[in-house]
Order: sequence, then C-alpha cells, then structure tokens
Amino acid sequence: MSDILTFIVFILLAGLAIGSALAMVAQRNPLYSAISLIGVFGALAGLYLTLAAPFIAAVQIIVYAGAIMVLVVFVIMLLNVEEEVRRPVRLRYLVPTAVLLAAVLFAEAAFILFYVNDAPAPPSPLATAEPSTTGLTASIGTGLFTTYLLPFEITSILILMALVGAMTLARRTAARPQDLVVPGAQVLPLQMVEPARVGDDTPVRSDTTAEAARTLGLNEQEQTRE
Amino acid sequence: MSQLITPVLALLLQAEQPTTRGGVIWQGIQHPDLSKFLVIAALLFIIGVAGVLTRRNIIVIFMSIELILNAANLNFIAFSRYLQDAGYPNAVAGQVFTVFIIVVAAAEAAIGLGIVIALYRNRETIFVDKIDLLKW
Repeated sequence: MSDILTFIVFILLAGLAIGSALAMVAQRNPLYSAISLIGVFGALAGLYLTLAAPFIAAVQIIVYAGAIMVLVVFVIMLLNVEEEVRRPVRLRYLVPTAVLLAAVLFAEAAFILFYVNDAPAPPSPLATAEPSTTGLTASIGTGLFTTYLLPFEITSILILMALVGAMTLARRTAARPQDLVVPGAQVLPLQMVEPARVGDDTPVRSDTTAEAARTLGLNEQEQTRE
Repeated sequence: MSQLITPVLALLLQAEQPTTRGGVIWQGIQHPDLSKFLVIAALLFIIGVAGVLTRRNIIVIFMSIELILNAANLNFIAFSRYLQDAGYPNAVAGQVFTVFIIVVAAAEAAIGLGIVIALYRNRETIFVDKIDLLKW
C-alpha cells in the first residue's frame, strides 16, 4: 500500500515537473515561462522530499523559487519586451525526422537504464535498523565544514566575485552632467574669442581649462595637432 | 511484439513475478530506486537543451540553463539516496554538491541578468538573433 502511494506521488510530481518544463519552453510570453519554471522547481522540491533530502528541498524552494526567480521576474518586468513571434519553419521534413530520432534516442536510454542496469539492488530502507541521518541539516553541515571545507570557502570567493561583477555590469556609465562645474570652466564673450566680432557679447561656454585655452587659441600646438 | 506488450500488461495487472521482464520493470518502478529519477532528469535536461536551442529570448534561454542545472541536481540527489540505501558511508556528498550547484546558479543568475540589463541598455533588444555584433 505504501509502495503504491509512493509511486502515485512520484508520478504526480514527475508529471508536474515534465509538464511545467514543456510549458516553459513552449510559452511565448517570458513571464508565463517564469511561472512554469517555478512549477518545475516546486515539483523537484517534492521529488527531493521523496528522496529523503528535506534540507535540499527547502533550499530549492527558498533559493531557486524564492530568490533567483524573483530576480528573473523582476528583470522581465523591467525590460517589458514584446512577445516572441513564431518564425516560419524552413526545411519542414526535419521536424518529423527530429521527433523520430529523439524517440529512438530516448528509447535507447530507457532500455539501458531499465534492463542493462545490473547494479546491486539496495536493501529496503525499512530493513535497516536505525534511520539514516543523511539528508538532514546536521549531516550536510558536517560535510560542508569538514570534508568539503575548501570548496565551501572557494564558493564564498565566487559569490564575492559575482557581487562585484553584477554591480560593475549594472552600473550606468555616467555621462558628464551639463551643469557640472569644472575648475577653469568659464563663459567668455564672443568678442574675446574672435577679435573681428567687436562688441558681440554672445556667451561661449567652455567646460574645462584646456577647452577654454583652445577656444582662445592659446595652445597652438594642440590645435595644429588636431 | 509480446516483449512490448508484456510490460504494459504487467503494469495493468500489477503482476509481481520477478522472473519475467514485466515483473522486473514493475518492481523497479515500485521501489525508490535510481532508474526512474534518472529518466526524469534526462527528460528535464533534454527539454532544457531544446529551450536553449530554439528560443530567441535571452531570458528564456537563461531559465532553460537553470532547468539543466536542476536536472543535474536531481541526478545528484537520486544517487545520494541510492548510495544511502546501499550503506555507502559518504552518501551525503551528492547533497553537498547540490548545495554548491545552487550557489553557482545563484551567482550565475546575478551575473547573467546584469549582462541582460547592460545588453538591453546598449542594444535595445534581448533577442539573441539581433545581438550579432561579433558576427559578420
């Protein structure tokens, strides 16, 4: 009875995962794709629970469905792009060929997995005397801080690099504001720049000292070089 | 032909003879073993690759990559469960590696979406066939 129940739960969760994944790829609107992907993550978290990994299931929900997908949905909302238009399929005969080849490949994989797999059958988990602690938070924490301490520390460096990289990428390369006062910035009357225009007080802006000097013709070398 | 029908019949009739192939399949499906999770993970991986190859929206491509990573995670957890049942002492390794993969996916999300935003600011598009600056 318990086996049947486990099997039904597996079929439900696996079907939800595969169906949501197909919907994610097939949707035209990226927002619907994101919501379908959240469904995949939820179904996978359920599968992890059936595989006796409650900590990973919780992390899956919190980090994937909670943090990463919020980021993705945020970017989708921010960019607000139009839907993808479906392109006409060139080379129509390739579609049935691809479906056929994919079916053959998948049948081969399933055959190998189900028939040629001669790994020793594990004993039933009910048969073992004491319940295993593998998969609980304490065992994963012990593994992280003893055997896998070096990868764990390298992970922190990775996160630091990702932080710096994301800030660098998302920073707007600031254009120089127009009203910024640069030392040496000044407004000259036109008669000072061109001696022929005597009495003309049209202002000529120069933003930097070098620009003012060039406007006044003080730096002849740089002008000829240009 | 009978070889094709036997598993289906075994599934329908819930036959429990381990000697026949249908009975073996039925037992394999019933027990929390490896194969069915591997098949699900392979399917998720294939769907993710198909999404990367066919879609043009870079955000959807990005989500397909997340799907591929999740297929790998499911493999890790399934093998961890299998080794745990087989009495392997270090069966928690798969779950620790899954934690690492989730961390890498989070870092990838931050960087990738930063790239998407910088790309949209410069090119006004997120369709990969419009982003052909390096192609001639």
